[in-house]
Amino acid sequence: MLNRRKAIGMGGGFFAALALPAFPASAEAVAEIVMGGRVGGSHVWFDPVGLLVQPGQMVRWINRDPGNAHTATAYHPANSGKPNRIPPGAQPWDSGYLLPDESFSVKLTVPGVYDYFCIPHEQAGMVGRIIVGAPPTDGWQSASAADDGLPQAALQAFPAVEEIMAKGRVEPR
Amino acid sequence: MKKVSLLTATALLGGIAMASAQDAASTVTEAPPAAPYQKVSELAPLPDFIPGLGQLFVDPETLPAGPFLAYDHDGKLVSTVYMVPIEDLTPDKGFDDLVAPGGAVDHVDVHYNAGHPGVETPHAHIVLWHVSKDEEARVAQ
Repeated sequence: MLNRRKAIGMGGGFFAALALPAFPASAEAVAEIVMGGRVGGSHVWFDPVGLLVQPGQMVRWINRDPGNAHTATAYHPANSGKPNRIPPGAQPWDSGYLLPDESFSVKLTVPGVYDYFCIPHEQAGMVGRIIVGAPPTDGWQSASAADDGLPQAALQAFPAVEEIMAKGRVEPR
Repeated sequence: MKKVSLLTATALLGGIAMASAQDAASTVTEAPPAAPYQKVSELAPLPDFIPGLGQLFVDPETLPAGPFLAYDHDGKLVSTVYMVPIEDLTPDKGFDDLVAPGGAVDHVDVHYNAGHPGVETPHAHIVLWHVSKDEEARVAQ
């Protein structure tokens, strides 16, 4: 477990490299998402909760919550049987638990809408949405099973695709 | 004679009970507490020291409610914490007879918590502080 944490923290992409092709990326291209939490743990969040990136852009999650561990985990059957909420052909990811100041990165290449969650905080609505390029009109969003098993707090926390497309970045509420 | 014996026995038993309580408290007043308590950061992926709570120990058999024993940076016990899932607060479920090994309680805090590894649903932290309000600062950071 210790080695795993260090690998994620140091490389910011060890596990991503296993799941997705690794490409060199300029520092400017990295889009950062902060995992945050209030002292005492009453409120937790991804910031931004909604983000628009370009195909092939690196996305990096970093845990800035000093009192908690978080994950960035794609909604996909490969992750504990969750419903699929990433584009067809895209690779799912799971950061594993990130302790304070640890990070994890993935490169998202397939255009579409990607929804993800934090394993210990899904019930509390700690979820996020990334749009790569422009959202397709016939993605997973049209599948009736996409909401199966998701807690109401999570379903209510996803920012609208239209809002992300309009703003490029949506702050947590 | 019988009365004296009864009084003696009562005093003896009372003394033993008091000594047992003191022994129990003394085994947890400094970190690490005796088995079956284990460090929470070795049971779940959590920071070793949690700001606002301290360094936590728990008997895994008592999860999720606890009690969790919380220590400051010098290894001194500051609080006993119970973590009660909100979904378990129903007409048909309760948490009875939770042990309180930490001794005298100065004051109590009750807070909502969104969850964390080990207790991955929203729950209430019930914090039995064994130190004064001012001394909570010992585990603030």
